[in-house]
Amino acid sequence: MEESKKQDYSEKEKLEIFNNEFLPHINSMYNFGYRLTLDEDDAKDLVQDTYLKSFRFIESFQKGTNAKAWLFRILKNSFINDYRKRSKEPSKVDYQDVESYYNSDDVDRQITTDLRVETLQDMIGDEISNALNSLDVDFRTVIILCDLEGFKYDEMAKILDIPIGTVRSRLHRARNLLKEKLSDYAKKMGYKN
Amino acid sequence: MSSADNPFKNSDGTELSCIQMLNLILDGDASPEQHQYFKKHLEECMPCYKSHELDIAIRDLLKVKCSGNHVPDDLVNRIKTASQKNNNGR
Ligand SMILES: [Zn+2]
Repeated sequence: MEESKKQDYSEKEKLEIFNNEFLPHINSMYNFGYRLTLDEDDAKDLVQDTYLKSFRFIESFQKGTNAKAWLFRILKNSFINDYRKRSKEPSKVDYQDVESYYNSDDVDRQITTDLRVETLQDMIGDEISNALNSLDVDFRTVIILCDLEGFKYDEMAKILDIPIGTVRSRLHRARNLLKEKLSDYAKKMGYKN
Repeated sequence: MSSADNPFKNSDGTELSCIQMLNLILDGDASPEQHQYFKKHLEECMPCYKSHELDIAIRDLLKVKCSGNHVPDDLVNRIKTASQKNNNGR
């Protein structure tokens, strides 16, 4: 990820790095791929493609550094450059909506939600998964990286190629949106909150 | 607790709001000192206590429900075969 000089690995070393540092992240990688594409076959292709690229570019990876962040960045770029372009499905996102969300001043606004912890505990089905999947992909991504994968602000900034301040604000908007979705589900479930 | 002890400060010296503190804690970017301070703050700030409880619950639910996608059995083999072929083909 850092623009460090190219490493010079023997074939044996390359395989060792690939097997010991890259492959152990396959669960997280597949989950990320699936949450981005929302399709199992597309996720498989995306993950396979990412691993092939990681092998091809292995000399720009410095042994012992953050392999997971490095792989996530490749996957994210593959998704944007290859998958999103060839995807025939028209974007469902209302961009004006997203824009206004990005540009509004409400990042530190505490949303008033009447969502209760007890209500969440009753969501034993796919409610949270559906809520997450329904968010715009940029918002979905930051939640996955932070809340599911435990990346820190600076790591997320590198994976997404955006400033840390943007990571922060996008994450908080994403959390607010997720809460609103969950609150809607709760109402549909008939909770009187 | 005087404001001099508050480890949550912007670069210009102003203190962070409750929601800003909460987010920092939740995102795992807070220092041990900040965690300590926030723990005390929770005892006396009801809005923070409630939000914190809810945010943690959401995060736990996300972890349980959204991270357990089973990797298809053939994927690892597919990748290994493809990468070896790639490597030998050069
Ligand atoms: Zn507070």
